Amino acid sequence: MRPFLFLPLAASLGITAAAAQPATPAASSPPAPLPLTVPIPPAATLVAITNATIITASHGTIEKGTVLIRNGKIAAVGTDVTVPPGAQVIDGAGKYVMPGIIDAHSHSAAEGINEGSRSVTAQVRIEDVLREDAIGIYRSLAGGVTALNILHGSANTIGGQNAVVKLRWGLPADSMLFAGAPPGIKFALGENVRQTNQPQTAGRTPRYPRTRMGQEEVLRDAFTRAREYQSEWKAYETARRLLRRGQAEPIPPARDLQLDALVEVMEGKRLVHAHSYRSDEILMLLRVAKDFGFRIASLQHVLEGYKIADEIAAAGTGASTFADNWAYKLEAYDAIPHNAALMAERGVTVTVNSDSDERARRLYQEAAKAMKYGGASEETAIRMITLNAAIQLGVDKQTGSIDVGKDADIAIFNGHPFAPASRVEMTLIDGRVFFDRNKAPTLEHLIEQLKRPRINTTSDGAP
Amino acid sequence: MNRMILLTGALTSALAPSLAAQGTQARPAAYAITNATIVPVTGPRISNGTVVIRDGKIAAAGAGVRAPADAKVIDGTGLFVYPGLIDSGTRLGLVEIGSVPGGQDTQELGQFNPQDNVLTAVNPHSTHIGITRANGVTSAITSAEGGLIQGSAALIDMAGWTPYEMAQSGQVAMVMTYPRVGGRGRFGGGGGRFGAQAPGDAAEQQNRQVQELYAYLRNAKAYNERPNPMTQNRAYAALGPALRGEVPVIFDVETEGQIRGAIAVADTFKLKIVLRGAQDGWMLADTLAARKIPVVVGPTTQTPQGDAPYDAIYANPGVLAKAGVMIAFQSADNGVGDARNLPYNVALATAYGLDPEEALRSVTINPARIWGVADRLGSIEAGKTANLFVTTGDPLDVRSVVKHVFIRGELQPWDDRHTEMYEKFRARPKP
Repeated sequence: MRPFLFLPLAASLGITAAAAQPATPAASSPPAPLPLTVPIPPAATLVAITNATIITASHGTIEKGTVLIRNGKIAAVGTDVTVPPGAQVIDGAGKYVMPGIIDAHSHSAAEGINEGSRSVTAQVRIEDVLREDAIGIYRSLAGGVTALNILHGSANTIGGQNAVVKLRWGLPADSMLFAGAPPGIKFALGENVRQTNQPQTAGRTPRYPRTRMGQEEVLRDAFTRAREYQSEWKAYETARRLLRRGQAEPIPPARDLQLDALVEVMEGKRLVHAHSYRSDEILMLLRVAKDFGFRIASLQHVLEGYKIADEIAAAGTGASTFADNWAYKLEAYDAIPHNAALMAERGVTVTVNSDSDERARRLYQEAAKAMKYGGASEETAIRMITLNAAIQLGVDKQTGSIDVGKDADIAIFNGHPFAPASRVEMTLIDGRVFFDRNKAPTLEHLIEQLKRPRINTTSDGAP
Repeated sequence: MNRMILLTGALTSALAPSLAAQGTQARPAAYAITNATIVPVTGPRISNGTVVIRDGKIAAAGAGVRAPADAKVIDGTGLFVYPGLIDSGTRLGLVEIGSVPGGQDTQELGQFNPQDNVLTAVNPHSTHIGITRANGVTSAITSAEGGLIQGSAALIDMAGWTPYEMAQSGQVAMVMTYPRVGGRGRFGGGGGRFGAQAPGDAAEQQNRQVQELYAYLRNAKAYNERPNPMTQNRAYAALGPALRGEVPVIFDVETEGQIRGAIAVADTFKLKIVLRGAQDGWMLADTLAARKIPVVVGPTTQTPQGDAPYDAIYANPGVLAKAGVMIAFQSADNGVGDARNLPYNVALATAYGLDPEEALRSVTINPARIWGVADRLGSIEAGKTANLFVTTGDPLDVRSVVKHVFIRGELQPWDDRHTEMYEKFRARPKP
């Protein structure tokens, strides 16, 4: 390709390049999360959803309440909210309003998911391969989802960096990035990493590790290297600080993007989301994290979490699980649908995730299973797909509940989100309506269109 | 033998545990679920009703029914009684663990295996059986997959010591798949997606498979029409009942092309067909209704193909039902282990246009009619087999909790592995 082909895209490329440029080494100056660089079209200045049942996820349910949105933020919530003149009013009579659903485990919109060639690929980034045209984004919006944690796959022990996004369908991929979301990374343990469920083909060299024991060694080896790298940078920084006039500048250590990410993990600046199933491997990971002085932000899948809920709670680690998937592989054979409720009962911050473009469309139905199995309260179940996900992703100051000051990320249902015949009517992000069933191309519309008489055409296609 | 057990049960009913177990343990002569809301499905709801269960059957159901003196009474106050749900497409008993090859017994080699009898491979002690019935799914069609003719499907109850004890009907249908461009498997996996092959090659392969299917059925027809075949062919013979219209053929199809193709096969060989899957069924709803072809829809837990509307899969069942098509649902295990979620497959359809009453029929009396067992399953009526469950609310509502499950009049033990594990670890002391 010739360089001039890129010229018309220069502006957007410039932005991408700026976002992609790694920050200075972690030890000297932490790479602050980069701000959202592409402005999104403004929302209506004032939006009011009136007369609705409001499930706040933080402070109970409000009957016949109003949510007032100003400049994309929730400005007021309650029964005595005055709607200012000029506000765009969404009639919420008979409707249920809940915080936009946050899917704590997704692979939507990513062009690539696994850089599985090596056991440690901490340097690769999902945000570099986001696609704004992935239909999964739209279909998730239609299921009330407003934010996703798009994770690297589970092919290797230390995978790539995740991207937390808002589903700003129709805008460029960079506009989806969740401004202010702390960076994160995917770890993975168990069968997928062992590659035992993949056919052994002739000529293909097995990749280390093949056992859970090897997985522990990969982790300890990587963090040992990261710790040495960190001290090299610290020594360099010290030498620079103590530099006297006339002395030669010290030589900085070589940059290592992989170890940079792991240093950030040890410094608490990068959240670890760890794919894990069995209780033994989870305990191993918690020990490794403790030894290297960091916290696991969330255990993903964590299907045997219920066996060691106390240990998970004591580590301050979140758990993000399936509602009731089981038996799809050996390490999922002890999965029980009571997992979410039991972990929550023992004090773990629990989310129910999709890990699938299909389940993401009906996460509200999945969350309700925590009430059925294990008797979670309605609010606990609602939090499993809203506030708790925001907490696990470090964005609970911005989203996850219907509270004044938070982003107006909201799903509007035609009935209670957990009731069987309920569906999403409208989804708002930052106060903008990104999905409206009344305007959406539905099957009903398509059938109507097909019933209309076709325009007579001549053989050459002209009308 | 049965009589012996019943007699023993009657004698020791006073000592019977609250949850009677299967087999030789003591059990009451009869049960009475009292003061419950009965949802017969084939008639209006009955408030404050009583269901009496005796000798495996529903002895009586109604508002004025009294609990017999020898019956063990289950207080149904605030609870609902529904007929057991029927899943019209699963691999129950054939698959234990998805990723473990030894735990899957669903795919024979070759394209044509009509002689295969699914009951041979159904494991009555699979953990999936107890887990499925615990949510009120009491019966299911189970069948093999892969190739073009998979063999006979069985309708099994989620109880029984042997596969044949489980079977309501051993050869309820012959299962076939109409070839599809790209060869996508019945359950969405395997077979490769579009683009796995060059489109031309895929179309050519589909054409070839269609010709093979016709040729095979022609040969089978000829074989079955010969008065005294010189040599025995078990495969062709197995197709006899389907070719004579004695049992239906389940055609697994998804696209419009497959549906039209399956109908053409049915016309050519005078088959009685039931379409299953049928994501594109809405395109031919009027045709299917006019020709009285039943459709097993689902699983609704899928994403639409290509550029279909976002709600196409959820709305399809409602469109078909409104057009007058007899519909039923399958969970297809949605991979593995998902048959217990059959009612929530249906719930998604009710959110997008399927009438709630028709929704309930589509997992009770409709499949009972389609599979030829409406004389004994699918509703709560005196004389029918007592496959039913007691629950706290609408079975389509995830929040409802199933309290008791009866299969053939026996109160089922709560031996599902998930509840056992839950109770075990909930009792774990603080470390």
